[in-house]
Amino acid sequence: MQSDKAVRIGIDIGGTFTDIVAASGATIVGYEKLPSTPQDYSRAIETGVARLMARCGIRPDEIAAVVHATTVATNAILEGRGARTGLLTTAGFRDVLELQRIRIPELYNFNYEKPKPLVPRALRLEVRERLAHDGSVLRPLDLEGLETALERFRTEGIEALAISFLHAYANPVHEEVAAAAARRVLGPDVFLSVSSSVLPEIREYERTSTTVINAYVGPTVSSYVRRIRGVLDALGIGAPLRIMQSNGGVLNAEAVVGLPAAIVESGPAAGVIGGALIARDVSGGSAITIDMGGTTAKASLIENGQVTRTTEYEVGAGINISSMLVKGRGHALRLPVIDISEIGAGGGSIARVDAAGRLHVGPHSAGAEPGPVAYGRGGERATLTDAMVALGYLNDRAIAGGAVAIDRPAAEAAIREQVAGSVGGDVRQAAHGVYLLSASIMTRAVKAVTTLRGRDPRHFGLIAFGGNGALMAAQIADNMGIRRVVVPPMPGVFSATGLTTAAVQREIVQSHFCRLDERSAPGIAALVQTLSARARTLLLDDGCSADGIHIAVQADLRYAGQAYELTVPLTGAGTPAELCAQLSENFHAEHEHSYGHCSRSEPIDLVNLRIVAHDDDGLADLPQPSGGGSGESQPARSRDAYFGRGTGDLRTPILRRADLGSGPRPGPLIVEEYDATILIPPGWSAHLDGRGNVVLER
Amino acid sequence: MTTTHDPVTLEVIKNNLDSIADQIALVLMRSAYSPIVRDSLDYSTGVCDRDGRFVAQGLTTALHLGSFPFAMANLVTRMGATMRPGDVYIFNDPYGSGGMHLPDIYLVKPVFIDGAVEGFATALVHHADVGGIAPGAMAVYATEIFQEGLRIPLMKLYDAGQLNETVTDFIGANVRIPRQVLGDLRAQLAGVNRGEQAMVELIRQYGAEEFRTYCRLLHDASETGMRAVIRAIPDGEYEAEDFIDGLGPDPEPIRFKVRMTVGGDTVTLDWTGTSPQVRAAINAPGPFVHSASYLAFRCLAGPELPNAQGYTLPIKVHAPAGTIVNPTLPAAANARGIVGFRVFDTVMQALGKAIPDRISAGGEGGAINFGVGGVMDGSHYVFGETTMGAWGGRPGLDGIDGAANLAANQSNQPVELIEAQNPLRIEQYGFLENSGGPGQHRGGMAIVRQYTFLAPSSTLTFRTDRRSHLPAGVGGGMPGTPNLNLLMRGGSQTELPVLPMEGYEVGHRDGFFQIMPGAGGYGDPRLREPSSVLEDLRNGKITADYAREIYGVVVAAGEVDMGETSRLRGAMSSAASDAHLSHFRSAQAARLAFGLALRDTGAEARP
Repeated sequence: MQSDKAVRIGIDIGGTFTDIVAASGATIVGYEKLPSTPQDYSRAIETGVARLMARCGIRPDEIAAVVHATTVATNAILEGRGARTGLLTTAGFRDVLELQRIRIPELYNFNYEKPKPLVPRALRLEVRERLAHDGSVLRPLDLEGLETALERFRTEGIEALAISFLHAYANPVHEEVAAAAARRVLGPDVFLSVSSSVLPEIREYERTSTTVINAYVGPTVSSYVRRIRGVLDALGIGAPLRIMQSNGGVLNAEAVVGLPAAIVESGPAAGVIGGALIARDVSGGSAITIDMGGTTAKASLIENGQVTRTTEYEVGAGINISSMLVKGRGHALRLPVIDISEIGAGGGSIARVDAAGRLHVGPHSAGAEPGPVAYGRGGERATLTDAMVALGYLNDRAIAGGAVAIDRPAAEAAIREQVAGSVGGDVRQAAHGVYLLSASIMTRAVKAVTTLRGRDPRHFGLIAFGGNGALMAAQIADNMGIRRVVVPPMPGVFSATGLTTAAVQREIVQSHFCRLDERSAPGIAALVQTLSARARTLLLDDGCSADGIHIAVQADLRYAGQAYELTVPLTGAGTPAELCAQLSENFHAEHEHSYGHCSRSEPIDLVNLRIVAHDDDGLADLPQPSGGGSGESQPARSRDAYFGRGTGDLRTPILRRADLGSGPRPGPLIVEEYDATILIPPGWSAHLDGRGNVVLER
Repeated sequence: MTTTHDPVTLEVIKNNLDSIADQIALVLMRSAYSPIVRDSLDYSTGVCDRDGRFVAQGLTTALHLGSFPFAMANLVTRMGATMRPGDVYIFNDPYGSGGMHLPDIYLVKPVFIDGAVEGFATALVHHADVGGIAPGAMAVYATEIFQEGLRIPLMKLYDAGQLNETVTDFIGANVRIPRQVLGDLRAQLAGVNRGEQAMVELIRQYGAEEFRTYCRLLHDASETGMRAVIRAIPDGEYEAEDFIDGLGPDPEPIRFKVRMTVGGDTVTLDWTGTSPQVRAAINAPGPFVHSASYLAFRCLAGPELPNAQGYTLPIKVHAPAGTIVNPTLPAAANARGIVGFRVFDTVMQALGKAIPDRISAGGEGGAINFGVGGVMDGSHYVFGETTMGAWGGRPGLDGIDGAANLAANQSNQPVELIEAQNPLRIEQYGFLENSGGPGQHRGGMAIVRQYTFLAPSSTLTFRTDRRSHLPAGVGGGMPGTPNLNLLMRGGSQTELPVLPMEGYEVGHRDGFFQIMPGAGGYGDPRLREPSSVLEDLRNGKITADYAREIYGVVVAAGEVDMGETSRLRGAMSSAASDAHLSHFRSAQAARLAFGLALRDTGAEARP
């Protein structure tokens, strides 16, 4: 456990802002929000951390840990700026990476363009060797051919090498020999990524693609981590630097350098972790988080206090509506990722009417520049934000504490000319149409993590954060029959706050293909022991204390003959046979839950074992702003806000968070804060809970 | 239109319907058993209004698009009066039930609101086996439907919530792999159940009356969009023809002939002149010619057009009875998918004459079917897959190397899973150098796939094409490259027909070497950007000789020699349409030699 005085720093870098939060125990002692510096992100970190330390009087030696979420790996892929990477594969299979799974992500598009492989064909070389699915060697590794290939990689000047042989998940021997030779021929500076170590899982494209992503971002992530470490050292901070992984746990920076593909979705994961901590206040540990900024809305599901994960993810896929059905937009990454469904609708999304008279919102966004028309920075196309200004939801003079001036007449004119003119109605009706359609598009993101997985959203509360989350949340909740919405304190820096609570975590996956029955039970139990011990050792190496380590065991199971597994937990102890019986029961139940049917007489196959190990260093509570919600009171204010044809305009009180009490106050209400605005429509009420959350109910 | 409607609600309901169709698809995919369902995704899902007209379709197989209207019209007409809550209908029979071919089994569940049918949740799945003359139900050599497996006329699988076990018992007793087929049927049922629940919630939210109105508006929007697309095509008559190479070792070409008449905002596709039905399993009964005819127009309309049945109204299809596109009983049909691909190709060529700047060159010609089955260690195994993946060159864009055919958006199957679950080994899978049709925008490359059989004895069937009638080049682009099927036995190889009229008995360690067709090119190859030629050369997709002789691009010291290139291009006459084929054949010979060497492995592994 940490001492109360120890300060944890959370740093979240977004495309527009860098947010830095300092927490001591259960209190937020201060935060900084400053523009990101995309040329070199570490500059904003250096400035921000120094400013925060000075302003809050934090000494370097008081800092216990610095936890960082970064998009540096994703950006390397999106911008094609990763390492010059080579791929060594089994003879006959060098095109697996480029073929992908063949499927196209859209049905009726003559102009579809397939994503370019991260390794061009010229740098994909083959070597003769062949394993069978059980790991037996059909053809020994051709050592001479190996040397030739490596020599070629050397003259090509590659910076990273991925090695992925067929069936290597079952036997790493050929890959290990090749890796050792590669280290010898290519020298110590070339980044090596080996499939049997990165992801020992069956399915050659997905394993190869994951291994290649790991290689491709390896050098970029290594140098980035070194740079941040340098910044901290320069500030005299000796505390460990930890990086948020895509799976929601953090890892020491030194360990991240060994598996850089694990931080590809580092950025969005942080907010969900924070959400998990307040989920129990919403509806018994189960909630949907909705994180909405200028260009996208991201939804994620928290069940029984746990974030949900997926291993079917595509990086560089752009907008991800329903991650399991739409394949082929990006590059497969099969490491565990918090299951976040992202959709191209946010405050900056552009509203337009097509030739057939149909209204559309997004996925194009006006972004931060030129931004919505209302910002007066040159934006000319009507956006969701303009609609919300026209509706009276957003302050009509300025937002962000006066930092951004609002030009309401310009926003109204844009809505009138670009939307109302074509779909009919007056400005407010047209704006309300844009608002409702946006909410319906964002609702698809919520559905992707609930109804598409057999979860009934009405059993969950909604946790809304990000700049625009609290403006849309009640409408999204109405669309889904959700009756409770929670807006945490400081929703605009919520992700950085979440970072200060994340625990160090290691995950191990091992394919172990067998029928789940009494015969295989002893082998499975033994493997669980081995893998658990390995995970424990890794955490000890990460500096965790032995008595704080928690180990969770999961198994990927399916009915014999199916191709998609469900991941189910193994919780109890017992004899090997009892463990297997427990797994079977959990699987039947989860199958029933997810798909609405199960078949207890069918045999079950085990595909993978997973170990998730974490220390208990994370906080049990989300830190709160110091001083609660004090501040001088302001004169009562109100303005007209429009709530649709049936309701029309209503005079709506404008409050600050502190003005709410513990008793419910009926909507319509608008709560304006420095970094966000909360809309409580008629039919909803709002109150403040004991943790400073604004709770909306109907 | 007199109804005042709200465009926002329309869009919201459309989003909801789309996501219901996707939900059915997802539940099905995740819990299905057979590889052809779970990996190839050879199935379709749809949401229909109370009249049985579809208002949304899942993101699956496009060629199945028009498969719902006929089946649903038949079902509503015959069963509409007697439907009860909890009913689920099942059928596959193309002669009388609106089915397409026997492997495609439909499940349809009516959605009841306050005692009245307000919609349907549907899914059709290509099942791994329905009995018949050969494992996998894809034998080209079946001569009548009675050899093709179990015919299921329109009947109830569930009657008011009660399972009709007679039906499942019949199915179980008539297929080789009942566990897989019944497992897939359970997944299919779970899908339509989920769809039905979601529809009930949606309709209750708006009320049945309002829901009906918005369904009608969706049809109208879809129809209006399609009429605008057709109006943009110059009025006139356009004719095109294309061919399937033919059956057996001595093939007679099978002709597809269309006359496309565009007048204002309607179009008629008349298939008169198309070959008569054949005594083989490639006849396409009933609705399939409609599905395939609609598809090119559906693509022209783009992804934003609502997937509602209204858009089919301005497209009239005439297919004379007794032809391969509208056969009569007892024509066999199990391998009829090839007709859909060729209908699509033929319509594309007709459109190419009307709007050449919007139409791409020919793709690989559609999915190849590969099926093998036999007995291994005392139990039956059946393995089936569809393979494909070359797009033709497009106006302004190259074709694609390795992307599913637009008409059948199906996935490949992982080699590692195939080997872990079947007595098979895949020896190689990748692109063939110097393949595909040259062009300013080149066609997608041919793909090689080579199998070794490990069971003591198995029966091999397959369906291929495009060996003598190559994927079309457009606007001066070259045609694509041909298919090759080789049986490898001992040290010798035997060339097999594109559409064999027999199953082949294959033994332990026999092999099958297949090259899929490469796609056609678009535009004159001499206009291709030299930098694109260089990139293909660097990536080993073409050789230096090919770059020089076909594209007139000279590369020296790793860079384009611009002077030499323009001199050579100036001197080139318009290339002969088969100049690239000799390069292709050399590459093919080299790849075969490589494949033969790969077969030479020592130890054996059995699944």
